Amino acid sequence: MKSLIDLFNILLPLFYIVTFVIYSYDFTKGGKKFIHSKRLFLFLTLIAHAVYLILRTVYFDHPPITNVFEIFTVLAFSISFAYFILELVTDIRGTGPFIIIISILFQVISSFFIQDLTEVKTVLRNHLLGFHVFSALIGYAGISISAVYGVLYLILYKEIKLNKFGLIFNRLPNLETLETLSFYSAVIGFVLLSVAIIIGIIWLPKAFPNFSYADPKLIGTSLVWILYGAGILSKIFGKWKGKKVILLSIIGFVLAILSTTITNFLSQSFHSFY
Amino acid sequence: MNLFAVSISHHTAPIELREALFFGDEEIKQFVEKTKGNLFNEGLVISTCNRTEIYGIPVHKELQYSEILNSIQSIKSVNDIRPGHFKNLFSREAVTHLFEVITGIDSLLIGDNQIYHQVKDSFQLSEDLHFTGFLMKRLFDFAVKTGKRAITETEISEGAVTVSYAAVQLIEKIFSSLSKKSALVIGTGESGEIAAKHLMERGIGKLAVTNRTIDRAEKVAQKLNAKILSFTNFKEYLHEYDIIISATSSENLILTKDDIKTAMKKRNYANMVLMDIAIPRDIDPASKEIDYVFYNDIDSLNIIVEQNLEKRKGEIHKVKKIINEEVDNFFEWYNSLEVAPTIKDLRDYFEAVRVEEVDKNKNRFSSEDQEKLEIITKRIINKILHHPTLELRKLNQSDNNIDETAIKMSLLRDLFGIDNNKPASSNQGSEKEGKDN
Repeated sequence: MKSLIDLFNILLPLFYIVTFVIYSYDFTKGGKKFIHSKRLFLFLTLIAHAVYLILRTVYFDHPPITNVFEIFTVLAFSISFAYFILELVTDIRGTGPFIIIISILFQVISSFFIQDLTEVKTVLRNHLLGFHVFSALIGYAGISISAVYGVLYLILYKEIKLNKFGLIFNRLPNLETLETLSFYSAVIGFVLLSVAIIIGIIWLPKAFPNFSYADPKLIGTSLVWILYGAGILSKIFGKWKGKKVILLSIIGFVLAILSTTITNFLSQSFHSFY
Repeated sequence: MNLFAVSISHHTAPIELREALFFGDEEIKQFVEKTKGNLFNEGLVISTCNRTEIYGIPVHKELQYSEILNSIQSIKSVNDIRPGHFKNLFSREAVTHLFEVITGIDSLLIGDNQIYHQVKDSFQLSEDLHFTGFLMKRLFDFAVKTGKRAITETEISEGAVTVSYAAVQLIEKIFSSLSKKSALVIGTGESGEIAAKHLMERGIGKLAVTNRTIDRAEKVAQKLNAKILSFTNFKEYLHEYDIIISATSSENLILTKDDIKTAMKKRNYANMVLMDIAIPRDIDPASKEIDYVFYNDIDSLNIIVEQNLEKRKGEIHKVKKIINEEVDNFFEWYNSLEVAPTIKDLRDYFEAVRVEEVDKNKNRFSSEDQEKLEIITKRIINKILHHPTLELRKLNQSDNNIDETAIKMSLLRDLFGIDNNKPASSNQGSEKEGKDN
């Protein structure tokens, strides 16, 4: 089983790259060559990734959430899986390359640095921690996708304003759709981050003796959460729309990435496990 | 195959001649009455604002193109017309040309799929006038199939190639659903009316029009079920509209940047699209500096039109490949209209009828008699088919013209409905295609 895990670890970045190339070909060239089959490539990549995650969980006897590189592979899966569902539900097929590239990034880093840990802290085998981490990861996948659609919205907005009718204009969905996709992804991200925070507030103080409310990760996540909450409320009540909400979503995403990077690599936090 | 075709189109003649040679339904009827049985056994007349084309299977294989032109001129007497204004096509060339016409690659506006419907209507008219026979029907089936393949398998008809469609395409790049949007058309001249019509076709939620002359506005509003705004105070209601299309002949600006700014404030900066399709322009171009205002004029819309035309030109080679395949398929079918396969199909048809009836009724007979029933019915069928089979074989041996033989075969097939009951593989597809429409 170990050799199979290692094989998947090497193959997964390649699978994502192949899927990305097919999506990109379809985006740039158009036509009907890959319009349906590209989804099959993504589906097969996701199946392979799911098998890999299950194999890791079974073989190492803990879910792959015990260090940042395990978390990255789950994040890569969550982002592409969320996109796959979004593509199925909305039938908007032109934005795949912009989302899948994020999965490639996370998966390549994970594949290079992931370690095979059989011995992990007892606390990392806890089910509540599992819920906490998975809801946080899907939440992050939501806000990542929201940010990507946000950037695409801004690019298309500018292209139309400047009367540039190139590839972006021809292939992307319309502005309202991009705004809606960005908003709903942010809402899903916000709800799941809320769940992760609630579980964290209730359970983390009991599980970690060195828990602190001044922890940089908690502060960072709370800031991200407040930012998204404010953006969503202002949009719902009609105060803000379009570019303003989109910019807020992008800032929130950048903040979330910074918070994760700082807490995991730079600062001392009870949240750092690697 | 003795298929003759003459074509006058934008490739061969100026617009004045094309207009002069346009055949209305009544004139097509006269033409058919005049030529059916004299020049053609069966045929098809296609006449649009850009082309008039006549396709026909001749009564005599020695038919001269000049005879066809004389028939045209006997219906439409046009001065200055010369044989050089017509393209004369025969057999495979004629079939290929029909397929090029129906796929839109021969059109002035490449990929224009209006021609697809016009060819279908023309064929319907020929059928109503009993001008179509077995060969023309099959040719039409193949033509429709080719047209459909071009639309579904290539991008020959994709993208807007007129300014008013480009405006709609641009609007659809901003709003997700026009059914929840409202539009105001300022100026109800020809351009304004066309733009309003396109918006209605795309399912705009609310449409209003305004025009300096109220009579004209009323006429268009009635036609399109739109609301009328008074030209003197329509600016007060600008903020209620997501899309504003302006197409007046005014020499001065109708809407200033301040007008737009005021409207945007009132609508809390919800997206607003301004389409200025007037020359000279009606809306201050500086309006595009306002956030969430998407301003476009004729020049920017023309960029979209040019791009789409280029893209369509790039698809022509794919369409030509489809046409070649379908022309090959058509001639493969046509060549199957030989004597030997027809004799076989005829015998198979009679045998199928015999077997069906025997199966239905054999329980009425004792088991001994059932055997006799088989023998007797087979003998009857053989006797019925003996003479026709001999005659058909004679056709094969004599020096008959291949088209005449094919037509006779087709008549025979029509008479017994052989192709309806036991279609050749290529027919099955095309018949289905035909029924879909």
